[in-house]
Amino acid sequence: MRILIVEDDREAASYIRKGLRESGHVADHAADGEEGLEMARAAEYDILVVDRMMPRMDGLTMIETLRDDDDRTPVLILSALGEVDDRVEGLKAGGDDYLVKPYAFAELLARVEALARRRDPETVRTKLVVGDLEMDLLARTVVRGEEEILLQPREFRLLEFLMKHSGQVVTRTMLLEKVWDYHFDPQTNVIDVHISRLRSKIDKPFPRALLHTVRGAGYRLQA
Amino acid sequence: MQTRLPAILRTTAFRQTLLSAALFALSSFVILAFVYAASAGMMLRRADAVVNEEVATLSERFDAGGIRAINRYILQRTVGGGADYLYLLVNPNGRSLSGNLITGLPDAQADDEGRVQFTYRRPRVLGTEDSEKDDRTARGRIIDLPSGYKLFVGVDVDEESSLVDRMFNTILAASALALALGVAGGIFISRRFVRRLDLINDVARSVRSGDLKQRAPRNHTGDELDELSENFNDMLDRVEALMHRMRQTGDSIAHDLRTPLTRMRSRLDEALREDGDLEAREQTLERAISDTDELLGIFNAILSLSRLESGESRKSIQPIDPADIAADLAELYEPVCEDEGLGFASEIERGMIVMGDRGLLSQALANILDNAVKYTPDGGAVTLRLRKNGEGRAEFSVTDTGPGIPDEDRSRVTQRFVRLDNSRTLPGSGLGLSLVQAIVDVHHGRFELGEGPGVSVDGRGPGLRASMCFPLKDEG
Repeated sequence: MRILIVEDDREAASYIRKGLRESGHVADHAADGEEGLEMARAAEYDILVVDRMMPRMDGLTMIETLRDDDDRTPVLILSALGEVDDRVEGLKAGGDDYLVKPYAFAELLARVEALARRRDPETVRTKLVVGDLEMDLLARTVVRGEEEILLQPREFRLLEFLMKHSGQVVTRTMLLEKVWDYHFDPQTNVIDVHISRLRSKIDKPFPRALLHTVRGAGYRLQA
Repeated sequence: MQTRLPAILRTTAFRQTLLSAALFALSSFVILAFVYAASAGMMLRRADAVVNEEVATLSERFDAGGIRAINRYILQRTVGGGADYLYLLVNPNGRSLSGNLITGLPDAQADDEGRVQFTYRRPRVLGTEDSEKDDRTARGRIIDLPSGYKLFVGVDVDEESSLVDRMFNTILAASALALALGVAGGIFISRRFVRRLDLINDVARSVRSGDLKQRAPRNHTGDELDELSENFNDMLDRVEALMHRMRQTGDSIAHDLRTPLTRMRSRLDEALREDGDLEAREQTLERAISDTDELLGIFNAILSLSRLESGESRKSIQPIDPADIAADLAELYEPVCEDEGLGFASEIERGMIVMGDRGLLSQALANILDNAVKYTPDGGAVTLRLRKNGEGRAEFSVTDTGPGIPDEDRSRVTQRFVRLDNSRTLPGSGLGLSLVQAIVDVHHGRFELGEGPGVSVDGRGPGLRASMCFPLKDEG
């Protein structure tokens, strides 16, 4: 993927750039909103990673300008402002996801890859398939192999999110935000407990595991 | 006084009273002037009417007997002095023929109705007192008779006109007095006002220079200045409390951040020295990262707290059913309890509406549940309840069978960074319950800690019951 990082902190930018390159992406850097706007207009990027507070032109203004030009490139906003109101403001300006600083690189990578997935033509899918695991979104049923798996509503949503992002790492924070809609960190590791419950339903009775733990990052559902 | 008065003159209060004094003086002047014009006019009109009557009598005489008849009439009237009227008949050559107006025809300009008013010299009459002044005011008409004769008929209006003059002077004096009284009153009132304001200003000045203990004086009359003082004092109370809390927080931050920072520093140091042993180095670095996460957790909690306390979070408050929050968290924590070997039960009453922020209330309840899970030993139980309590409020409560919190510590644990000694070894920022308290405060609710189900349950401790209650929406 080709990713543009718009971030005034050069050290942070080179750290992100290095990480993204190591993960097999092409990453460019712009040092402020104006430069970012110029570069985003000049070339085709798959994802923009935009810092919120920058000199000359701040991130939100840059995103708004792009959206006014009808540029729909997915944008991940990076910000030190992490309250719900700040997020809402960022998403209203045209951001697609919001990551609060400081963050682990794994978190950033997971979100960037999740955004890229979103860009795929959003056909209305009624069925998700990962290996021999199938989810019917209309009938709300899950089948692995021949066997039907009964899930609680929340477990269903958790699995749905994992399947929609199959092959990618999803972090605990992402799950808490997207599946539970909570923007705080519970101290006990509630997500791990829910994942292990889900795992015991979809993986345990079967010879091959689909739901993998990625150390220091989160989880990945992969056939 | 020399330096004080000009300051007084600059005050708003003084200018206001001066303005009203001037308005008062002006209006009394206008009213008196009106009275003056009306009464003076009336007196003069009466004199004019009397003159007109006499003119009518004289013109009858003239019709009957010409100049001679008038001359005779005037002579008869003025003989011996003491006539009611002033007369003067002048021939075409300007000579006086008869009359008691010895100063001759006045050369004063006649007004629109042919009236003249002028000063004349009264003839000395034998036997009259010298003390009476000789220059007096007369008013009357000059009539041109055929063949060049002129006739003046008038009356003495000296008393009337001096009365009018006196009235005029009185009015001027009264207006001046009103103005002077107004100014004096203005100074008096504004000095009183300014003195009270000065006291408040003094307090503001000493607060600015750092003395937060000063308070503005109150007289408890409920007037504007008293209200100002009250508001001012309330503001100072709040500022003082905030300053106090800030100082306390600063100290606690220094204390509580130093520990994980020191730990992290030594871990990184250690990682540098672990040459060769990659796996050990990796482990050390991972622990250092989890130390940073802990620090970040503390920072985030502090930020959330200050946001809550500054009242910024009130925007997203809307009507919600607390049962949704309770149900979601019950679902989130039930497996956690099970995992920790704890029983979990929930009883949730539906159908209440409170004004709240879903995210914040969920966070508060999650913090309480976190604590319950953290402190309840294996084999215990956690219960989450939501019900309408005796006061008609929505009450969330979480009871556990852990060690509980001793009575004397209960009010302390909601303060920032307070961690009871026996919990220092467990992870946590010491800010969890402070956050709960702050969130409850934002929602005008009440947070209480009490005893759990009691010793009898498992003999390990009285347990803890943490409850938050919030007013229902209809209560306002």
